[in-house]
Amino acid sequence: MSSNHHDRPSHSRQDEHEFGEERESLWRIAFAPTIWAFHFAISYAAVSVYCFKFEPVASMGVLRAGLIAMTLAMLAAIAWIGWRAYLRWDVRGTGEFSNPEGSAEDRHQFLGHAGFLLAVVSFIGVVYDTLPLIVLGTCR
Amino acid sequence: MTRDPRAPRSLPPGLSRLLLASPLLLAACEGRQSVLVDGGADARILNDLFVVMLIGAVVLWFGMNGLFYWATRRSPAPHSQKLANWLVILGGIAFPTVTLGALLVYGLTIMPDLRATGDGPVIRVTGEQWWWRVEYERDDGSTVTTANEIRLPAGVRSTFLLDSKKVIHSFWVPSLGGKMDMFPGRVNEMTLGPERPGIYRGQCAEFCGESHAWMAFEAEVMEPDAFAAWLDAEAADAAAPQGEAARRGAALFLAQGCGACHAVRGTPAVGRVGPISPMSLAPFARRRAAGHLYGGFRQVGRQPRRVEARRRDARL
Ligand SMILES: [Cu+2]
Repeated sequence: MSSNHHDRPSHSRQDEHEFGEERESLWRIAFAPTIWAFHFAISYAAVSVYCFKFEPVASMGVLRAGLIAMTLAMLAAIAWIGWRAYLRWDVRGTGEFSNPEGSAEDRHQFLGHAGFLLAVVSFIGVVYDTLPLIVLGTCR
Repeated sequence: MTRDPRAPRSLPPGLSRLLLASPLLLAACEGRQSVLVDGGADARILNDLFVVMLIGAVVLWFGMNGLFYWATRRSPAPHSQKLANWLVILGGIAFPTVTLGALLVYGLTIMPDLRATGDGPVIRVTGEQWWWRVEYERDDGSTVTTANEIRLPAGVRSTFLLDSKKVIHSFWVPSLGGKMDMFPGRVNEMTLGPERPGIYRGQCAEFCGESHAWMAFEAEVMEPDAFAAWLDAEAADAAAPQGEAARRGAALFLAQGCGACHAVRGTPAVGRVGPISPMSLAPFARRRAAGHLYGGFRQVGRQPRRVEARRRDARL
């Protein structure tokens, strides 16, 4: 009983610490898809408002340049998030592609892996979202 | 039990049936309601898109089945982790990303051509249950209303303003271009630029009720001069019925109250509920999509058989 009492606080402190770290990581894997979602919403809203209201009075040039600049910034952010996630996954260091065990380290690497893949998908999504703006550049 | 080696080897029944059926399927491609027989640039662009997708799908099909064959028959032993990783990275991420990206760019580059602004007549088409109200806007601001038959000049892009009365329909002349849905309370704009004069067929492409299948129309592409002359003639009052049978038909038409729903320009028949016949009573019978008429009658509770009998007696 006494040993139990003795162990528990230290265990739970360690758990709390690790869990806190992963909680942050859990948030972090959502960053890239969130950027993608914002990119999608902003691009579509801006272009539809322009085409509906301002097409006859102003050329699309400024809007187009602004959206492409926003796209580049968002792609850089996603790339950075993806790189950080890749480092956390640490596939080069450990040589482990999957991390199926329940240990704290495995959770850490797994979240890195998931964050990295989500960043890749988001990067592709943002590029695809922007293609109409580059190829078409018109409301038609 | 051994098979007699002299016995002719016959195809499995399923395969021979498929081979028998395929000429029939191909014959359908020659019709005047086919994307593959184009009457203008729009349909040609869509046809190219179809061919590109078809060839791509065939190549992919053979590629995937080739890999399957290789993995199950040629090299069934477990592959190294490294090979598996690269297979996933190249085949699962890089290849689809590049292929879909290329298709997206291709699709985007053809869009402006398909959505070019019209420089020809403006035609308002309204989906009714179950027929097509067609209104041509003339230069002097007047409109000419017809039904179930759309005429277009060749060589220019006509603009269609598509609307619907009650339910969703879809406007589609496969030989002339893509389709567009028609929504109640919303005008959708599309343009078509037919090039080859001829008679094509359009069909409602969105299930809209019991007589949906009847909801077809003729799309006649004419030389611009012929189109202008036709539109002028269509704007004038209906020609007086010629001959005994036609006169009887006209009298029956008016006496039976058909004019409550149908209009014949220049007569007391001014209804707007049913298809209009601006020239004379004759187009009702002449109209190539006449079968549609019965579909419409059935829906409002009229007796097609009685109409049929009357049509036999008097030339409607
Ligand atoms: Cu319909």
